[in-house]
Order: sequence, then C-alpha cells, then structure tokens
Amino acid sequence: MDILVQTLADGLVIGAFYSLIALGYTMVFGIIKLLNFAHGDLYMLGAFVGYTLLSVVSGNGSGAGLMGIIVVLFLTMVIVGAIGMGIERVAYRPLLLAPRLSILITAIGVSLFLENGSMLFWGAQYQVYPLQLSHDGWEVFGAHITYTQIGLVIISALLMLGLHLFISRTLYGKAMRAIAHDQTACHLMGINVHKVIALTFFIGASLAAGAGTMAGAYYGTVNFMMGFIIGLKAFTAAVLGGIGSIPGAMLGGLLLGMMETAGTFLFGGSWKDVVAFSLLILILVLKPTGIMGEKVTERM
Amino acid sequence: MSTLLTIDNVHSFYGKIEALKGISLEVRQGEIVALLGSNGAGKSTTLKTISGLVRPGKGDILLNGKSIVGLPPHQIVEAGIIHVPEGRRIFAGLTVRENLELGGFTQKKKKDVIAAGIEQAFSMFPRLKERSTQLGGTLSGGEQQMLAICRGLMARPKLLMLDEPSMGLAPIIVQEIMHIIREINKQGTTILLIEQNAKAALRLAHRGYVLETGRIVMENTAEVLRGDQSIVKAYLGA
Repeated sequence: MDILVQTLADGLVIGAFYSLIALGYTMVFGIIKLLNFAHGDLYMLGAFVGYTLLSVVSGNGSGAGLMGIIVVLFLTMVIVGAIGMGIERVAYRPLLLAPRLSILITAIGVSLFLENGSMLFWGAQYQVYPLQLSHDGWEVFGAHITYTQIGLVIISALLMLGLHLFISRTLYGKAMRAIAHDQTACHLMGINVHKVIALTFFIGASLAAGAGTMAGAYYGTVNFMMGFIIGLKAFTAAVLGGIGSIPGAMLGGLLLGMMETAGTFLFGGSWKDVVAFSLLILILVLKPTGIMGEKVTERM
Repeated sequence: MSTLLTIDNVHSFYGKIEALKGISLEVRQGEIVALLGSNGAGKSTTLKTISGLVRPGKGDILLNGKSIVGLPPHQIVEAGIIHVPEGRRIFAGLTVRENLELGGFTQKKKKDVIAAGIEQAFSMFPRLKERSTQLGGTLSGGEQQMLAICRGLMARPKLLMLDEPSMGLAPIIVQEIMHIIREINKQGTTILLIEQNAKAALRLAHRGYVLETGRIVMENTAEVLRGDQSIVKAYLGA
C-alpha cells in the first residue's frame, strides 16, 4: 500500500512536468503540423533562466522566499515564452510553406543550437539550483508525500486550468483551435494567423519553462542536456494522449509519469527510459491516434 | 451608383501557369454581380486574388478607390471584403456559436457587435440557434452553408463574395439560400457571386461577367445574359 501511494505521488509530480511540456508539443503540432523537437530544450532553458534569476534574487544569502520564487517562475515563463516566439519568427515562419521535412530538420537544428548555446553560456557541468525545497511532508499510508510535491502539482494544475480556460473561452483560444482545422478559412475570417501561431509558441514555451524551473528546484541540479530525453518523453506523452489533443497531452503526461515510476519500482531505475519508450512503440502499433485523438468526420 | 470594387487588368499565377490573364471588372454599391464560366475558367482564382489568398502578378484591385493589392488576407477582411470559400470550410470541430464568434474576429474589440451579429444569424436561420452548441461538422450540408454565410456576415462586410453557395445541395435548399442572398443584398450588402448554376445566378444578379480560360469574354446585365443564346448554350445547359 505504502509503495503504491508513494509511486502514485512521485509519478504525479513527474507526470505533471511531462504534461506541461507535452502541451506545447501538441499545440504546435495541432496548429502547424510541426513536431517541434526543440521543445524539450525550452524546458532546459526554463530551468537555466530560473536558475540565473533565483541566483540574483537570493544572491545575498537571504533566500528567495515564497514570493520571490513565484515572481521568478512568472518571469522565467515570460522570458522563455518570448524566446519561443522568437524561434518561431526566425526559424519556422520562413518555412511554413516549405515541405514538412525542411521545418522538421530545422527544429532539430534549433535544438542543437539551444543545447550548445546554453552550454557556452552556463557551462557544461551540472549546476546546483540555488534553492532548497523542503523535504517535510505528510505520512500517508506509510508513504512520504512532501509539501513541495503537493505545491508543484497544484501549480501545474493551475497552469493547465489557465490554459484550458484560455483555449475554450477567449477568441484567440478559439482561433487557435480553428487554425488547427483550417488555416485558409481562418485567413478569410480576418484572423491574423501569424499572430496566433506566435501566441501558440509563446504559451507552449512558457509552459515548458515553468516545468523546467519547477523541475530544477525539485531535482536540485540542472544541465544543458536535460531537455533532450525529457523532450522525447513529453513527445511520448503527447502521442499517448493523442497528438493535437490538449486534454490528451495533460492525461498522457500524467499517465506516462505514473507508468514510468511504476516501471522503475518493478524493474529498477535503469529501466526507466525503456519503460517510457516501449510504451511509445506500443501506442504507435496498437492505437496510433492515442487515447483522446480521434478524427472528426467532415461532411463534404 | 458608386463603384465599390474595381479590378483593373489583374494577372494571377499559380507557379508558372497564368490563371488570370488580365481581368477587369467592377462591382457597384448595392449590386449582386454574378461571375459565370465553366470549370477552370478562373472564377475561384478571381475571388482568391481579391481576398489576398493569391497575390496578383500584375494589375490593381481597388476598394472604394483604395488599392488593396499586397495586403495580407486579414487586413482585406478588415477593409470590408469577406470571401465565403468554395466547400464552405466551416470549422468542423468547433461549435456553431464558436464558428460565428470567429467570423466576428475583426470586431473582437466590440463585444456588442459580435452578440448582435449572432442574434441576427439566429433570427435569419432559427435552425442554427437550435444547434448553437453542436459541432459544426455535425450539421447537414445546407446548414453548413447557412453557417458559412452567417459567419461571413459577422465581420459586417461591405462586399460579400460567395463561391458556389449552392454546390452539392438539394434544390429546395438552393432556393432557400438564393432567397437569403437576396435578403442580405436588400439589407445593404453588396454581393459578388460565383455559381455553377448559372440560371439561378442570373435570376438573382443585376449584372454578370462570363469568364473563359482566365479572360472575361462577356459582360452585361443579367437580363441580357439570360436572353443571349450563346450563353444559354454554353453555360445554362439548355
């Protein structure tokens, strides 16, 4: 029982990170049919920007404080969101009408650029996060659940709730969904499609950055390659949920996090990635549309 | 009647293929103008060129005397031209109401204009009101066409361009659509219409242009075109 609860709790935290990153993957794919392989690196960038900002805030040894942490999280999301928008403008927009393969290769190039750029800027070694999160918590059925874990899951849930409200209630959110259906029709409705695409990149990047900062604080160390594997995992989560589906990305991330944690418990830590990517292969073979991904039938 | 839209010697290309070989036409305030011609004559390309989806290689397009050539499509909508495309292209995964709201995207700062537009659409087509929370893709073909027209009207256009509004619809629905187009025109919206069903189009329109392989080969009042034997033979299937 204690092991089950512990696995669920740990998996939920990792799953929340996967969900936040998978959302950006799925939104960008939905809107311009690009698998943005640089997306995981925006998570890494979020971790590092958060690291630098936290170092500034807590530089005099007084510690960041709760308010400081929230401000840093917010600032990081805005900064990395803007970087995501810049990447779209410089690297992807000129290729929107080019064959899909060109833009996919460009995404890989952007990924390498971000990884190596970050290595030059922040160094190749592991950096210790200037923040110690509390390990206090509750004992639930013999499992140890920390306040930090609960806080991280709540912040992630709030971010996803905010995204959901934005997508379903606001005109720009609806325009995002409409562009995923029919870009030409959106042009004809007077929608500035480029602006909406840029906004999508902003939101996707800032969610990944939020996850990055939280993960940095949670694990305690950051490294310029940390976005690579997790980008692939988030991609797996997006495919698991059904790529293009926003609720699917949220669900896929949580499921992947829990299955991975369960797999770690069953087979040992070195099998973690094997579990996740075996899952990817299984979905692609058994249900390529994912859990929530379904085709809308259109009447001609 | 003052001129609303002037197309002056427009050439449009798809790659190296010249789809429009120097088209000139005008639409006056308050008119219904029909664009006739067989498949591949360049009717849809003409509309796409006006709405900015295709950029003309040569020539000018003026709305109220101001050139709109080279503007991105969304700015052409803001200027007052709406293009309801062939095949309707409503957003299948969005609800009827959301489709209408997006039609009013250029009015996004004016919530009351959007609300009024939706009310107007619902009173014009009560069936859309009944289905306002249904996904667009679940509507019948006729309902989708009604939605597409209403979605276009949400932007309060000066000029409404309709590409084959009767395509694939049952005759009784076609009649209803034609009736609605006349009503919209009576309420002050100028209309440029492409129709495969030339008979119906010429009954509705004030004037018509006939296109053939990228050129205008004839223009006249609808009355004269209806009586012209060569037109009747070539396009009205008589």
